Amino acid sequence: MGYFRGFAVTFRKLWEKRVTIPYPEQKRDKPERLHGRHVLNRYEDGMEKCIGCELCAGVCPANCIYVRGADNPPDDPVSPGERFGFVYEINYLRCIHCDLCVEACPTEAITESKLFEFSFTNRSDAVYTKDELMVDGETGRPQQLPWEDWRDGEDTHTSGWMRATSPSGSAAYVGKVSWSGELGYGIRAPEQGRSGGEANGDDEEEGS
Amino acid sequence: MNDVGQSVEITVDGRTVLANPGELLIDACERTGTYIPRFCHHPRMRPVGMCRSCLVEVDTGRGPALQASCMLECSPGMQVDTESERTRKAQAGVLEFLLVNHPLDCPVCDKGGECPLQDQTMAFGPGESRFVEEKRHFEKPIPVNDNVFLDRERCILCDRCTRFADEVAGDALIHFQGRGSDTEVNTFPDEPFSSYFSGNTVQVCPVGALTAAPYRFKARPWDLEEVESTSVVDSVGSRIAVQSSRDCVLRFQGVDADAVNWGWLCDKERFIFEAYDHEDRLGTPLLRGDDGDLAPTGWGEALAAAAAALTDVDPDRIAVLGGARLTNESQYAWTKFAKGVLGTDHVDAQLGDGLPADFVLGLPRATIDEACTPGGIIVLLGPDPKEELGSLYLRLRHAVVHDGATLIELTPRATGLTPFADHSLRVRPGEAVDVVRAMFGEGGTAPIGGVTVEEAQAVGAIVSGAAVGQNRPVTVLLGRQSLAEAPGTVVDAALVLHDWIADVRFLSMLRRGNVHGALDLGLAPGLLPGRVGLDEGRPRFAAAWPTTPATKGRDALESLRAAADGEVDVLVLLGADVLTDVPDHDLARRGLEGAGTVIALDLFATPTVAAADVVLPATAPTETDGTVTNLEGRVSIVARKVTPPGTARPDWMIAVELARRLGADLGISSPDDVWAELSVVSPIHAHIDPEALAVQAREGILVSGGPALVRPAPLEVPSHDKNSYRLVVTRSMYDCGVLTAHSRSLAGLAPVTRLAFEPTDFAALGVAEGGRIEVRGPRGNIDVVVGPDSRVTKGTAHLLFNQRGVSAGDLIEATAAVIDLTVVPV
Amino acid sequence: MSFFTEANARTAAEVIARYPRPRSAVIPLLHLAQEQEGWVTRDAMVEIAELTGATPAEVLGTGSFYEMFRFHPVGRYVVNVCTNISCQLLGGEELLHHVEESLEVHAGGTTADGMFTVEEVECVAACTEAPCFTVNYRYFHRADPDTFDAVVDDLRAGRSPLARGAQGDDGNLPAHGTLGRLRQHIPDDRRAGVVPPEQADQEPVWLRTAPSTTSAADA
Repeated sequence: MGYFRGFAVTFRKLWEKRVTIPYPEQKRDKPERLHGRHVLNRYEDGMEKCIGCELCAGVCPANCIYVRGADNPPDDPVSPGERFGFVYEINYLRCIHCDLCVEACPTEAITESKLFEFSFTNRSDAVYTKDELMVDGETGRPQQLPWEDWRDGEDTHTSGWMRATSPSGSAAYVGKVSWSGELGYGIRAPEQGRSGGEANGDDEEEGS
Repeated sequence: MNDVGQSVEITVDGRTVLANPGELLIDACERTGTYIPRFCHHPRMRPVGMCRSCLVEVDTGRGPALQASCMLECSPGMQVDTESERTRKAQAGVLEFLLVNHPLDCPVCDKGGECPLQDQTMAFGPGESRFVEEKRHFEKPIPVNDNVFLDRERCILCDRCTRFADEVAGDALIHFQGRGSDTEVNTFPDEPFSSYFSGNTVQVCPVGALTAAPYRFKARPWDLEEVESTSVVDSVGSRIAVQSSRDCVLRFQGVDADAVNWGWLCDKERFIFEAYDHEDRLGTPLLRGDDGDLAPTGWGEALAAAAAALTDVDPDRIAVLGGARLTNESQYAWTKFAKGVLGTDHVDAQLGDGLPADFVLGLPRATIDEACTPGGIIVLLGPDPKEELGSLYLRLRHAVVHDGATLIELTPRATGLTPFADHSLRVRPGEAVDVVRAMFGEGGTAPIGGVTVEEAQAVGAIVSGAAVGQNRPVTVLLGRQSLAEAPGTVVDAALVLHDWIADVRFLSMLRRGNVHGALDLGLAPGLLPGRVGLDEGRPRFAAAWPTTPATKGRDALESLRAAADGEVDVLVLLGADVLTDVPDHDLARRGLEGAGTVIALDLFATPTVAAADVVLPATAPTETDGTVTNLEGRVSIVARKVTPPGTARPDWMIAVELARRLGADLGISSPDDVWAELSVVSPIHAHIDPEALAVQAREGILVSGGPALVRPAPLEVPSHDKNSYRLVVTRSMYDCGVLTAHSRSLAGLAPVTRLAFEPTDFAALGVAEGGRIEVRGPRGNIDVVVGPDSRVTKGTAHLLFNQRGVSAGDLIEATAAVIDLTVVPV
Repeated sequence: MSFFTEANARTAAEVIARYPRPRSAVIPLLHLAQEQEGWVTRDAMVEIAELTGATPAEVLGTGSFYEMFRFHPVGRYVVNVCTNISCQLLGGEELLHHVEESLEVHAGGTTADGMFTVEEVECVAACTEAPCFTVNYRYFHRADPDTFDAVVDDLRAGRSPLARGAQGDDGNLPAHGTLGRLRQHIPDDRRAGVVPPEQADQEPVWLRTAPSTTSAADA
């Protein structure tokens, strides 16, 4: 008897809607705030946003980011200004996807996409270099890595994550969203959940 | 700093504080734990009150008023409020003004993360900017010289760099220009900030306006690791902070050691780290194979080859040259290996460009502080400190310009100190001793050595105290004035000064990194560690050392001569590039060719190393733990920060390994072991041990005492022939030396030398500037490029040593007391 | 080779000798250089630096603080038109427009013939006489476009415009940079540098107005 009691659960669940999905044939919709792998963005004119300031590396609690700056070649600048990110590496064996790097970035150069597939068979593949992280110079889309299985539209959700910290550290601050344009997309709308598109805080961004 | 007089009682934020008389309020507050924001104030420069950030409310009995605390000396009863509403508002207001035109490009800026403007804005500033207008714009960045970039947008006009250039370095080549909001720091158009000390302006800049090319965008402050160390570029022993990231040294910063460099560095000290990190560094031993080429090999093979060469060789046929750039510990290990195991005394750390070791040790020594005593008398009987000992030059200049010291020059050519000298006696090369005798009334009334008797006696009256009153300490800066003179010329003159001036002290200007450590630790003929001669020291070493040499050995030049004559079977070179550094190039060449097996320890494949049979890669100072001894005898720590390239090893370890292969145990397995042994064998080092050094890391520990004064036999100098030009060979800060040549930032700064004459002498030659003439010297006829130079004295000709252009080493004959050149008629 | 003319080099030597330290002569020598060329040339600064023992950067730094030294070529006559509040209210800006139009040059520029440099300036301290312009620092009060045209005509014709109302001059308008036609010669006993300042234990003789009763220490 006990034998059939055990099967009772099985039979009962047999007719219910399944929780699992047949990944990778089918993929779940991702939550709004999913932190996937990073991308390095470009301005609309194709210039890299990253200036090699290493603030992301400095704030990273997992010490997984390695950045080195260099003097921008004056006749063929890589990024606006004097400095550009010469080396940019993220070790995804260490990354905890906390997004502090995204918050720390003063130029919105690094954002997180919804791409979450990490499949590598050796340690050096786990270290994504600047070439892999940088969005395509023509379309502004992320580079598709061999193990990434994209569905339509997945690669477009690469930014829109808003900085939550006010310039002066005031907790009451609700940020005014002031995006810079991105290659291939222009100025993107912010994601939902915070202040929306209009300024509803009385704090201004720092004059620059 | 100033302990004279009574303390002044003031009140700071309700606390009673004792200030020193004459102390500035900002310093008194900081000393007692109240930090007042500041940008222009710098403890080593005079106050200017430029930035106004240090405004505090001060009541001196007339009611509280805002005053700049960096311009205000403490006075009794002063009531200071650094936290009042008014103070806060004033400080925040000043910061807001400073930020009006300061770009907020902190993420790009190299200073970001270690920026006083960032820090103080966070601590004292208004928090948010009300400024929305356009800031002022300049071209950014512009190079003010080869190594320093200036971003005028970031400049807050604190006057630190310009004050440093004017007040400390004496090269006022950068200056405020314009007025009001158009004020900028800049050089004169097309005239670069060509100062040997320009790197200091980068260090004192409180914002990112001045950046140094070697560090530009290399790292951020938060990924730098730092250790305090000592510079071994020259023998001043400036304290430095070695900063590295990812096992790569990125920056040297000056550290304020009160007794030594006051936080300043010359650019050579600051940027030399690039050489240590150069890809040409030797990382693996090399061995000359049967095919005659040097080929990489393992340590086992290389050491075996070296040991085989040293086995069963008559000690008299072994010579060890160099070692002046090693740490004290390595020097001791090598002295012990050479003298205690091999048994040779043909050991010399100097390469024929120094002074006799026993003579230097026997002189009464001065410290830098003693030489720079306010109101003291400084006699320069040596090279140009601005060219050879940069940080010492800054101390000397300060003493003369700001502290009322009197400077007397006895040099054959104008030096960097000439503009501040009270008397400059232009001594004909080789005749310094005659001039010094004339100073004290010896000799006739005829002009002697290029100087009139009246001039000489006026100087004599100053140094003997007759003209300026007693109790002014006299310090003689002693070193080789010219590499074209035998060392005896200054030795003889120094002895006369020693005999005539009561309580005179000497500050050695031997220049190579740790040459004074080498002398103290016996890496010189006739000496054993602890500044003792062979005979005197032998009983002490009997227990610890297997052998000690019987008689005084040959110095470097004598060893090279012996090698040229085929009397040296094994020549060991401890970082000695004899082909470049020995003044007599012909002798060096013949010596190297004539020597049997040449074993070279070095950082780079120098021309000398290329001629060696066994090459052992050594570690650079940033890769070695140990200590060095500066020109005062101050022992201070050199700290390892990064790992050496390849399998390079510290020099002491190589000595230990070689000894082991020869069946001897040096008893050294770490640098600290050396101090344990030294405390037994060397009484002058008894008060030093690693713990004591760690406690007194910044100022180091002085070693004093030494043997009795040695009086070498007087040198015979031939009289000057009116038709010849006496050669003067000096060094400039940047030359073709292996370290400078491998520093990207410095290599390009080395000048091209030409045979320089005094302008009227030059006019008499009848050659155009940059033309060529043929001169006859002791090495035969040589074709040289010539030019005029107002710093050269009449009747002399000048060359820079080890430079492109004319090779001075090809003109020098080491046995000659002086080199006289005659112009060969066309 | 050397910048100063022979006569000016003699004057320069004399000026330098007036001061206890040669560096004090930087500003008088800048005036002298400007008088010679109409503006301060690079060569002039290098030579002044050499003469006074300063660096060229210090000479430029010192000189560029002062409005009256010009480091770029200017015309023979520098016309300053005030557009500050009093002048503006009474037609200063219209005057400036007229000046620019009639001379065919923008403020800050120099006419093609090298005669005039036009500048817009802030208050020249003649608000009671607004609007006002100056030519080589000689004032023309309550000016209107006609005044200006007349002045230009005079200068082009080689006449002096000063009779038209400038104050305190003898009726001649010298080229820009000219300081005066009488060189001052200071008798030896009235020179500043009888002793170097750091050695002075009493006030200079020429400062003493009454028999000295207080010592320097009380001062």
